[in-house]
Amino acid sequence: MVRFHDLNPAVIAIWFFAVTGTAMFCSYPVICFLTLLGGVLLFAIRNGKKHLKTHLFFLILYVILTLANPLISHNGKTVLFVMNDNPVTLEALLYGLNSATMLTGVLYLFRSFTQIMTSEKLLYITSVLSPKISMVLSMAIRYVPLFSRQGQKVSDTQKAMGLYTDDNIVDDITGRMRIFSSVSTWALENGIVTADSMAARGYGTGRRTALKRFPFGRTDVVFLALTIAFTGTVALAAAHGSYIFDFYPSVSGIHPDLVGKAGLAAFFLLVIMPVIKETEAIIRWRYLESKI
Amino acid sequence: MIVIKNDRLREFIRYAVPLFIIPSLVLAGGFVFERKRHILVSLAVAVFALLLFAAGFERKTTGTRKLVIVSVMTALAFSGRFIPFLKPVSAITIITALYLGGEAGFLVGALTAILANFYFGQGPWTAFQMLAWGLIGFIAGLLAPHLKKNRINLLVYGFISGIAYSFIMDIWTVLSYNDGEFGIKLYLAALTTAIPYTISYAVSNVLFLWFLAEPFGRKLKRIVKKYNV
Repeated sequence: MVRFHDLNPAVIAIWFFAVTGTAMFCSYPVICFLTLLGGVLLFAIRNGKKHLKTHLFFLILYVILTLANPLISHNGKTVLFVMNDNPVTLEALLYGLNSATMLTGVLYLFRSFTQIMTSEKLLYITSVLSPKISMVLSMAIRYVPLFSRQGQKVSDTQKAMGLYTDDNIVDDITGRMRIFSSVSTWALENGIVTADSMAARGYGTGRRTALKRFPFGRTDVVFLALTIAFTGTVALAAAHGSYIFDFYPSVSGIHPDLVGKAGLAAFFLLVIMPVIKETEAIIRWRYLESKI
Repeated sequence: MIVIKNDRLREFIRYAVPLFIIPSLVLAGGFVFERKRHILVSLAVAVFALLLFAAGFERKTTGTRKLVIVSVMTALAFSGRFIPFLKPVSAITIITALYLGGEAGFLVGALTAILANFYFGQGPWTAFQMLAWGLIGFIAGLLAPHLKKNRINLLVYGFISGIAYSFIMDIWTVLSYNDGEFGIKLYLAALTTAIPYTISYAVSNVLFLWFLAEPFGRKLKRIVKKYNV
């Protein structure tokens, strides 16, 4: 019983980049909607009734993103009303709705991506490309909270010694500069110690190994093949020109040709694949449970 | 790890990638496709920054220390963004490039852009930020002897790089506003509206280079000398 997050990290990453990439390149209303649908379903099926705050946040974001565009852009034929001498148009509103759908969908997907892709999975992927760059990035990510904690310590010490004031801006800035300087000296020295420790433990002497093994099983092969096939179909349809869509000066209708329809069907299957995988796993689990 | 054995080829890649291949990819992404294709470009830029890294940092023993120092500088440049109003990223990138070389500068600039955007939001602009900051670092590395000799040169470089950063970012503004097409009139308009930002970039570069170059340079010089990075 393989759930979506148990697949090989490379397969998961490829799926995410295929879906978000297609959504961002096409910005075709149906594709944007399917992305949002898939993103919400995947997030909901993985988290159940938890994370209601996340849904609320995305809902507010969705409304703001939709309304932002007609306030900024005044292109389009159909004027709904005039505000501050600027026309608010239906086309701009629809354009905003479309972008908001796309962005919220992509953000939902990225939220699931962050949940699924733990740092060791991400390192596993980047280390295939370049172990060193993955090392630098992961260390930099780790250093950010470390440095701010050290900065807090230095700041507390300086305050305790009466060296730090923040009641005028010049003192505040010089104080922060002093803390920054102190932290950076410490950080550089600490970095050298880390590097020597790494070298002493044999970093870079052989092939990198991962703490956790990620096998590439039959399910992975099937999932990857389906991902590539569906994405290929959508890409063909996009290259064929089925997804050209204009909002300005007036909204062109959604009339995809046969290739376009095939592409949309493929994209729907692509987006829904992990949800199906999760549902299947859940049902199987229930079935096994009831048999015991 | 991709290790390129041939010295000539490595030298060629070191200069060709940041100076020629990455900018032309970005421009191709902007001009050739009929609609916005910035994510593709962003990916391509990341891949080539990686190639550059492979070419420059492939030596092992010195590599580990330099590697860690680069990630320390990246993290510092990022946490420096929490200083109010001003952005020390370019200044730290330039200082790194002066003492650790152009590739290190490029990496600090480009990786800070990715790292910062983990917090502030990834997007098509990531590619342009990576390119702009990376190039600022790389060119500072090339000019290092002149910049280290004279403080005025350094401040002038900081000022120019602040303006250049704004100019490069405005290319993206125009492309995204105009659905992937580039118009010189729009570009000029964007440059004019961005004047306050341009000034703030240039001034914060000069300010941070003024305050940080000396003490930070001393720290880095010490580390480089003491630990033979």
